[in-house]
Amino acid sequence: MSDAVSALNGAEFNGLAKVVETGLGGMITLRGDLASDRIKAAVKAATGTEVPATRRIAIGAAGAAAWMSPDELLLMVEYDRVGAVVAKLGEDLAGAHHMAVNVSDARACFAVSGPAAREVIAKVAPVDLAPGQFEAGDFRRTRFAQVAGAFWLDEAGVFHIVCFRSVAAYMFNLLSTAAHPHAKVGVYA
Amino acid sequence: MKRYSAFAVAREGLRYHSGWDRAWRAAAPKRHYDVIIVGAGGHGLATAYYLGKNFGITNVAVIEKGWLGGGNTGRNTTIIRSNYLQDPSAAIYEKARSLYEGLSQDFNYNVMFSPRGVIMLAQTEHEVRGYKRTAHANALQGVATEWIEPARVKELVPIINLDGPRYPVLGGLWQERGGTARHDAVAWGYARACSDMGMDIIQQCEVTGVRTENGRVIGVETTKGAIDCDKLGMVVAGNCSVLSQMAGFRLPVESVALQALVSEPIKPCMDVVVMANTVHGYMSQSDKGEMVIGGGTDGYNNYTQRGSFHHIEETVRALVETFPMVSRLKMLRQWGGIVDVTGDRSPLISKTPVQNCFVNAGWGTGGFKAIPGSGWAMAELMATGHSPLAEAFSMTRFKEGRFIDESVAAGVAH
Amino acid sequence: MLILECPYCGVHAEETELQAGGEAHLKRFGPGSSDEAFHDYLFLRENPRGVHLERWRHVNGCGKWFHAARCTQTLEVFGTYRAQTSAPPQDIRDKITAKRPGWTWREFEG
Ligand SMILES: Cc1cc2nc3c(=O)[nH]c(=O)nc-3n(C[C@H](O)[C@H](O)[C@H](O)COP(=O)(O)OP(=O)(O)OC[C@H]3O[C@@H](n4cnc5c(N)ncnc54)[C@H](O)[C@@H]3O)c2cc1C
Ligand SMILES: [Zn+2]
Repeated sequence: MSDAVSALNGAEFNGLAKVVETGLGGMITLRGDLASDRIKAAVKAATGTEVPATRRIAIGAAGAAAWMSPDELLLMVEYDRVGAVVAKLGEDLAGAHHMAVNVSDARACFAVSGPAAREVIAKVAPVDLAPGQFEAGDFRRTRFAQVAGAFWLDEAGVFHIVCFRSVAAYMFNLLSTAAHPHAKVGVYA
Repeated sequence: MKRYSAFAVAREGLRYHSGWDRAWRAAAPKRHYDVIIVGAGGHGLATAYYLGKNFGITNVAVIEKGWLGGGNTGRNTTIIRSNYLQDPSAAIYEKARSLYEGLSQDFNYNVMFSPRGVIMLAQTEHEVRGYKRTAHANALQGVATEWIEPARVKELVPIINLDGPRYPVLGGLWQERGGTARHDAVAWGYARACSDMGMDIIQQCEVTGVRTENGRVIGVETTKGAIDCDKLGMVVAGNCSVLSQMAGFRLPVESVALQALVSEPIKPCMDVVVMANTVHGYMSQSDKGEMVIGGGTDGYNNYTQRGSFHHIEETVRALVETFPMVSRLKMLRQWGGIVDVTGDRSPLISKTPVQNCFVNAGWGTGGFKAIPGSGWAMAELMATGHSPLAEAFSMTRFKEGRFIDESVAAGVAH
Repeated sequence: MLILECPYCGVHAEETELQAGGEAHLKRFGPGSSDEAFHDYLFLRENPRGVHLERWRHVNGCGKWFHAARCTQTLEVFGTYRAQTSAPPQDIRDKITAKRPGWTWREFEG
């Protein structure tokens, strides 16, 4: 089998913030009744986390679970483990109305870090990024300029973005332009 | 009324311009009129004008809640063309365009009609086929248009970028006698001529009710009192649903905001009108040198005469792709109008369920170009009960399944 | 810039995250209904100057459809509510009534 590669092969840009395509990420769309015990247990088994609260991401030992909508989670695990996790979800949730799909290769992932990271995201997404309004563990689906995407902030102050693989180059160029050294606004400084 | 002439300009120049008449009389409402037109936009004023000119009906009032020409007529980007696909559209828009050719002479008032040519760019294979088809249809309809190749587009518009980042220019539909006119001069010219025929133009007077008796209209309520009439024409564009509700019927129309903007004035750089419907922006240059720019409508019902900011961004983005030099321009002003959009993007010139009550609406994003033809047809319909030009635009066409589908022509472009 | 609160994810979404979906609480008239009802269902949309009930979708967000009660004359938003209803809920009606006493919209009123 050929080697799977990410859309931009780890492209990097250094400016006001550091923009990195973070390579292959394992991603599973899980839909179902998020309040049900069986989903809760299945998510725990797959990622080691609880079902996250609305617009939050829960990060556990074996992966993470992000709130996408009232009936949808995005589970993130190691890329190589996705097949096994999807199969296990199928077993754990047999008979319960649900859907678990491997979407890893439909996606691209980026990280934006550095002191101006908030500003870079704020320039391109219609989200209130003021400190206190968007904090570690918050997760948001939104739009980045002309394309859909989701992002969250981790404990280390790094923003993580996922979008469709087909628009990976657009996303990278967009973030790099927003992080251009001459493009400082200083709004959260 | 004194006529305008080179001699008059010279004479007034020598006496501090103290001898000009007002272009139209300020009128207080009379008790009764043969015809009341609601709405002193281009279409309402043109209806009144042709009622007088073609049918000798001059006991007419045009009632306007704001100032004349203050609706969409004074807010549009003035593109005039008649390269429509469907026969009824081509007929009425070409009638209008040909009347525009002689309007200044007709009025003795300069409406600054400028038949500088209009290009609609084809930027997808689908558009290429569509516009070639329109060119053939236009040939049969007697509307002079032609399909042109990219090289000819570049010759006509040197500032254009044929190899845009998203959509290359694959050719265009070219109407050499399309162009622009000064929008408020069109309203003012009609108003002056109507006033000269003895008609009353009553501004600052809002129609607040429609009075009917046995299913027939007998007058209107206004903020200046009740006024009787034998016939009523509702010509209020974005407010047509509000008026029709007063008369007790509904129209297949939704009202949404459409915006336009102009740049700082620059030296002449583009002497035709260019419309790029795929990327959704269009541009021409005014006599003052401003680039006049428009784009798409908002997606939701709105009566506030202002639109959403992101549509401006989208429009400007489209134009920067098409004309890279625009990226260096500052935008000066931006505004919005409330446009009346029908399901098939074609207008209504129609009788209504109320006898002697007529409606002219639904011109949406593209009715400036139609003003003379629409007024001509509406006057004929109101005076005689029948107009060949208006026939297909009856509001019963939806029920009858006779749509005039111009959603590409009028739903997007102007 | 129009801002609507998505009742599903709680985001105060500005309109570039949203898609307008037209008149709310449409009733479908299909085969078996009168020509009149079918015509009105297909072609006549509410177009009020004032109180309006609409469908919206949080398209660049949680993806859910929801309802909004809005004034088309002022762009004031009275409130948003879930999609799983065929009539505006009482709290939304009360909010509209507080601002626009005597309002009516299709078969609904304050
Ligand atoms: C931004 C923009 C760009 C456009 N660009 C183009 C273009 O390039 N080419 C083109 O062909 N068309 C264009 N259009 C469309 C065009 O402007 C309209 O179709 C046309 O002007 C409609 O004319 P009208 O006389 O029907 O309406 P209006 O000019 O809007 O006149 C209606 C009048 O009715 C009055 N009225 C409303 N309610 C009442 C009441 N209750 N009592 C009394 N009076 C009332 C209003 O105050 C208004 O003055 C554009 C429109 C906009 C908004
Ligand atoms: Zn939402």
